[in-house]
Amino acid sequence: MKNIKLSTVRYQLRQSGFAILALIGLGFSISAKAQQTEGMVTYEYKYYWTKVNSRLTFLSKEEKDRMKLTWGNEEDGPGTKMKLTFNDKQSIYTYFSDQGQTEDGRYSWRQSDYLIHRNFEQEKLIENHEMLGKTYLLEDSLMTYNWRIQNQIKDVAGYVCMKAETFDPIKNHKITAWFAQDIPVSAGPERYFGLPGLILELDINDGDVIVAAQKVELKNVDKELALPKMKGKKIKNNDYDQMLKKHIFDSIKAQRNPYWSIRY
Amino acid sequence: MRKLLLLALLWPCMSVLYAQTPNRFQIQGITADTSSTPLGSATVMLLQRKDSSLVNFTRTNDKGAFAMRNVKRGDYLLKISYVGYIPFQQDIVFGDKEIVDLGTLKLKAITKELFEVVVKTARAPLSIKGDTIEYNAASFKVPPGSTVEDLLRKLPGVQVDQNGNIIAQGQQVQKVTVDGKRFFGSDPKMATQNLPADAITKVQIFNDKTEQSKVTGVDDGKQEKTVNLELKEGFKKGGFGKLTAGLGADGNGNAGPRGEIKGNYNKFDDKNQFSVIGLTNNTNQTGMSWDDYQDFRGSSSFNSWNDNGDFGFGGGGGRYIIIGGDDDGGLSIPVGGGNGRGYSNNIAGGINYNYNTKKIKTNASYYYNSTRQVVDAVRNRENFLQNGSFKTEEESSQINFVGNHRLAFRHEQTVDSLNAFIFTNNSRYNVGDTRLNSLQEFFRNNNFKSNETTINNATNVDKIETANTLIYRLKFKKNKGRSFAASASYNFTNNDGVADQKSLNLFYNATDPTDVMRRMLDLTNNTGSRVSQLKSSLLFVEPFAKRFFWESFVNLSYRSDNVDRDVFDLAKDSGRRVPVDSLSSFYKNSYNYARIGSSVRYSYKGLNFSGGLAVQSFQIDGKFALGQNPASFININRRFTTWIPNASLNYDLKNNRYLWSGYDVSVSQPSTRDLQPVIDNSNPLIIRQGNPDLLPTVNHNINFGYNMFNPASFMNVNVNMYYSYNVNQVVYNQQVDPTTLITVTKPVNITGGQNIGSYIGFGFPIKKTKASMNINFNPGFSKNLTPINGVLNQTNTDSYRFGTRLDLTPSDNFTIFANANWSVSNTRYSINTGQNQQIVNHSYSGTMNIRLPKDFFINSNLNYQIYKNERFGFNQQVPILNTSIYKILGKAKKAEIRLSIYDVFNRNLGVSQFANQNYVSQERIQTLARYGMLSFTYNMRGMNTNIKRRGGFF
Repeated sequence: MKNIKLSTVRYQLRQSGFAILALIGLGFSISAKAQQTEGMVTYEYKYYWTKVNSRLTFLSKEEKDRMKLTWGNEEDGPGTKMKLTFNDKQSIYTYFSDQGQTEDGRYSWRQSDYLIHRNFEQEKLIENHEMLGKTYLLEDSLMTYNWRIQNQIKDVAGYVCMKAETFDPIKNHKITAWFAQDIPVSAGPERYFGLPGLILELDINDGDVIVAAQKVELKNVDKELALPKMKGKKIKNNDYDQMLKKHIFDSIKAQRNPYWSIRY
Repeated sequence: MRKLLLLALLWPCMSVLYAQTPNRFQIQGITADTSSTPLGSATVMLLQRKDSSLVNFTRTNDKGAFAMRNVKRGDYLLKISYVGYIPFQQDIVFGDKEIVDLGTLKLKAITKELFEVVVKTARAPLSIKGDTIEYNAASFKVPPGSTVEDLLRKLPGVQVDQNGNIIAQGQQVQKVTVDGKRFFGSDPKMATQNLPADAITKVQIFNDKTEQSKVTGVDDGKQEKTVNLELKEGFKKGGFGKLTAGLGADGNGNAGPRGEIKGNYNKFDDKNQFSVIGLTNNTNQTGMSWDDYQDFRGSSSFNSWNDNGDFGFGGGGGRYIIIGGDDDGGLSIPVGGGNGRGYSNNIAGGINYNYNTKKIKTNASYYYNSTRQVVDAVRNRENFLQNGSFKTEEESSQINFVGNHRLAFRHEQTVDSLNAFIFTNNSRYNVGDTRLNSLQEFFRNNNFKSNETTINNATNVDKIETANTLIYRLKFKKNKGRSFAASASYNFTNNDGVADQKSLNLFYNATDPTDVMRRMLDLTNNTGSRVSQLKSSLLFVEPFAKRFFWESFVNLSYRSDNVDRDVFDLAKDSGRRVPVDSLSSFYKNSYNYARIGSSVRYSYKGLNFSGGLAVQSFQIDGKFALGQNPASFININRRFTTWIPNASLNYDLKNNRYLWSGYDVSVSQPSTRDLQPVIDNSNPLIIRQGNPDLLPTVNHNINFGYNMFNPASFMNVNVNMYYSYNVNQVVYNQQVDPTTLITVTKPVNITGGQNIGSYIGFGFPIKKTKASMNINFNPGFSKNLTPINGVLNQTNTDSYRFGTRLDLTPSDNFTIFANANWSVSNTRYSINTGQNQQIVNHSYSGTMNIRLPKDFFINSNLNYQIYKNERFGFNQQVPILNTSIYKILGKAKKAEIRLSIYDVFNRNLGVSQFANQNYVSQERIQTLARYGMLSFTYNMRGMNTNIKRRGGFF
């Protein structure tokens, strides 16, 4: 008896989430019961640098093999924890903690400024990037990604997710996202969004970087969604893309690794 | 309400006005399961049919209904997904009507078993292709050595009976294919019973047309259950190797032909790495290169950073990397070396094995190397006394052989998330022998030969060394940051040596040339030495407040040395061994060392600071006696206690800027040899005396540094400064007898020696990607104190070094990397200002690469050294130019043929000059100079044809 009740409640909740999504479109606002469409996801961001470096066109096969053999086994360490705070109107993605540190905490380092804000309602974005020796504040309207939906499902952090793919023409990266069918929010980690469900796993360029959800908490996050004060040189989408493009081109030409100083 | 909801669903396209054109459509439908229960909240996606691009999406309401308005005419696919159901797909066909009603769309549930086991438990991705569901077999755990059949038994919806027949989803499997192909005929069991499970990455189960319908092309409507197994890609598995052989002629007549062979081979998969390496040459290349070392050692190349069990400030005790080592010493494999002096023949080779899993890292390696070196030298030396000087001239010929067998074993095991240990063993068996023939002549101011020595020495050394360390590390579950580590080490060295010394000394009388005093020496020394050491360290780290750690360490060490030296005289009694008690000695020393220290560390957001204090006690208990069967011993019992402060700062600033600073104190104990109150006159012209009153040397060091780089403009700045101050530095007091020219040295403590200096570097591109420049300036000032003939002499050296580097990479076909360094050092002496001198060192070096058509390349290296010291009239210029032309062969660019000329100008004369406070010397060694070589290389991974980069980091 109890079981049936519970499932009914869940069903209703799911429906109310849907209803809220609908009502928002009409300008209504009820947030008290909006459990499915707001919350916080903790991700682990793992950067496989030997894979990334293996893509550097100026390295010989011998150098790539040497790097993989020497360091390939050292990449099992923990990645960087990231968090995505979202509701159906907006999302903020940034570091989970305010500093980087070793596992035992005895050594810490500064994390480059990095915050991604998406406002789905106003179709606007704000991004804070410390890269290429400067801090930038990107403010512009939302870009669109051409997502291709794939016929694959898998479980990520307890949610059944469907696969979608897109391509980043600036960095030449193949992007694979796994979005939750049960969380009808278009938000996602890093700079990605725009799918029918919340992106819980992101695979950048065939496993060079994996951003995978470890914990999903559906709760009210109105407080956490307040944007912190951010400083930086103002920049627009187009200039940002051009700057990245030029840096990658110059670096490869000068036979340097472009990825030390930009987010992959 | 329903209408309202429908309206709401369309919020993405709300702003677009509803238009009555035939090109805008409304797609609507109802989703339900196979038993017609509506599916609410299902995701409905409109995709482009050609590439599945997402055009629009919505969700169904609680009645399972959805509608998409304002859809332009196009070629679409409607996709509906719902948790636990196979995603539904349907093409959209537009008609005349504005509303495209798809009716009720039924979604099939994924078999509960499949969903629960594959998706939820195994967390494997599930791919749906029509009615094919495939999943990743790697997610299903089977013991190593299992067959595919064992794997299939684990899969949901699959049963394997006793005879090996497979039943999938209730039907017997007729066909098993591997990568879509038939495997060994028609028996499905052939594949499943023979293939190992770990070779499989994916399992697909689907209905296939029968063979007959495939052949005839007529669909008989029958379907066969088929299992397809997809094999793993072999990219994590492989082998590679490289072989170079060369033969050449020496440009200097009488020297023989030159040759070299080197090769290595590696075989690896995701867990195992196996490699062999071998090299032999007579071109003075004593060891392998760093690249070869890395290929040889693989994942074990740089693991020793974690293997230091001597915990200290900084906690880990492992902040320094111990790798490489000099040519003959040390337990680690020698890397680099070569282009040394004289002529050498070298042989080296080894095998290495690494095993790596998440929890276990094991390495074992064996490496042998040997070098036979011929050194023929002419040396001149002038020693300055307070009144006048004397000269020494020497002609010598020496042949050295050294051979080393090295064994290394390392095992690192992560027992669980809290416990881990590392065991390392490094051992070496070393044999060496030396033959030295030399004639030395001593001249007074007026070029009068005062004495002459003919030496014929031979030594044989036989040495065994082993070092073993066990480190255990413990973390605590409840308190993240608290940790404990313990280590224990046992090191042992046994060294047996025989040295035969034959010399004839002639002392000439200044006034009567016929009056010559002869002294014959024919000695044989047998030395046996055994050193053993036991060490143990503890480290405890406690996070006592937010961002603060308290780190404490204890080090204990006991070392025991036993040295027995027996000297016999063969000259006195016509070849019979006569013990020489005055030169024979025996000593036994034990050293007890204890250190305890504590520091506080602060760490937050890239600001890392640590400050602490340690106290160490060092105790020597030694006994010493002369003679072969001594009855009485001289005892040395000394104890030193020293306080050691320490501080360090690392600060990680915004935009790639870093700041660091540190203060540390190092303590070196006086060596027992220096403490022994004994006179060592084994070299009759330089007599060494011990000093039992010596105190340990305490060295204070302060450093500061800053660096930044701008990745956008490729600009970088490096600045650092250092200062060091010596307390009780051990220096050798020299006393030269003006009549016999015999030098007596005795170690004494002197405080006040110091060094201060800085390095400032700046790098920037002149033209981005084409030309870049680095300039650096390196001033240094030092003050050294040495007593000479009882007078304390202060030597001040001011040096200024200026360097620049230019990288020109204008195209893929031509590159130049050039360096120039200029340095001037001024040395001033306090007691003999007449000897003040200025030494000028310049060096110009460069590498030029040219890529010619048809895979021809030219590479040239120039290294031009200029050394000037006007006071002594030195002006030495050594330009060494190596150049080669090579062609890469074959389509795959795996082979290379190369013609090289080393030292084109034939100027590698092995000349070195050296001036010190009280002497100046010059040495010339017959050394391998110009030679040409034709060599061939085959590299399984392809030759490197990139000429734009110097190597190093990327």
